[in-house]
Amino acid sequence: MRPTATTRTVIPEQAVLSPMLQRLAAERATGALMRDRGTLYLADGQVVHAESPATPGIDVLLTTSGALRSEGWWDAVAQAGAGQRVARYLVDSGRVPGGALELCHLGALYDAAFFALAPTHTPARFRYGVSHWIGPVRPVPVDSVQRETLRRRELLDRIWPDALTDSAPIAPTAHPVDAPVPPRQRRVLDLVNGVRTATDIAQELGRSAFHTLVDLRRLAAAGLVEPVRPASAGSASGPVRIELPEVTADPDLALLRRLRDALEAL
Amino acid sequence: MPGIDECLLDVMRLPGARGAAVVDWTSGLALGTIGESPNGDHEATAAETAEVARMAAEQPVFAQAAHTADPAHSALRGPARPDRSPTAPPGPAVEDVIVTAAAGYHILRFVETAFDSSVFLHLWLDRSEGNLALARIRLGEIAERLVLA
Repeated sequence: MRPTATTRTVIPEQAVLSPMLQRLAAERATGALMRDRGTLYLADGQVVHAESPATPGIDVLLTTSGALRSEGWWDAVAQAGAGQRVARYLVDSGRVPGGALELCHLGALYDAAFFALAPTHTPARFRYGVSHWIGPVRPVPVDSVQRETLRRRELLDRIWPDALTDSAPIAPTAHPVDAPVPPRQRRVLDLVNGVRTATDIAQELGRSAFHTLVDLRRLAAAGLVEPVRPASAGSASGPVRIELPEVTADPDLALLRRLRDALEAL
Repeated sequence: MPGIDECLLDVMRLPGARGAAVVDWTSGLALGTIGESPNGDHEATAAETAEVARMAAEQPVFAQAAHTADPAHSALRGPARPDRSPTAPPGPAVEDVIVTAAAGYHILRFVETAFDSSVFLHLWLDRSEGNLALARIRLGEIAERLVLA
């Protein structure tokens, strides 16, 4: 019995996020697929690495937590970067345990792929023959990456269907914290300040950006945070929001008065 | 060098092991799988077990019992460890979740990593051939070995 990388042969039509990626996988291409929000590195048609400006890289994930000192990271890059075997070097030099590196790298790969495969109108480019200096870790079939990316989109929308939470600065609400916040979400909540975005918080925590999105959507669903909506007033462009004059400071009171009046009129 | 695959092969050597997976409980992603899965679909199984693992990991009733020491300190954070930087994520308070079902035993073992993650090992064990107590201990050791050199 061999471990399998969860491969399925049949791909439903909607699971193809990028026809170009699909074609590159079919022709077992090697190179870098550069999309609007990130890059996927392929080797023999499999995804071997992914990067996105929206997600912390494996260096940030490993060094923020103290799992690896930043000197250790830079030493590995200096020693093995040119040979494109940085991951291998980190393990062989005893700096990062093999299993931990695989878990961390796979997490970073799916994380960056989620953003790299986000819908875009910018055409993708593929540079044949390019490979990443991190080197081989644990290749993943293109189908798995596409299926997982779709599943993740659905997961986010099931938790709280507001995509602005993923990109806008996040602010705490006035809503009191009336139920215990799980420790991992608490660490995210502590960094919410009306300025930081999900990406900023992920960088600061050294946590996968997708995990941060999940935490933020859960916090939003609990009413504890909300995205800062882009201000539309004051600008000439865009629909102007009409501010209605405030009738009363307390809408509940107004409702009660109307209710009383209606009852008295009976 | 033990990696995900070696660790899964180790798990399958346990008597009565039917299938196993390394799963991320925040996303429900299967990072590696081996053997059978109860519904014939490792990915669906991972998403489902991840939900159970998350519920267990996030319930204050399980988390607080371990260390109720300093209420002023961030409530659920464990005691500071000398071998970790202060920004290191706190270790999981829950070690494992065991479900005994008609079709077998399920052990979800949380994996404590030095970096921020939410990973657990899932073992599906045959009821007649498996030894739940032994499997639980061995799975804990394997989970530790997975992230240690």
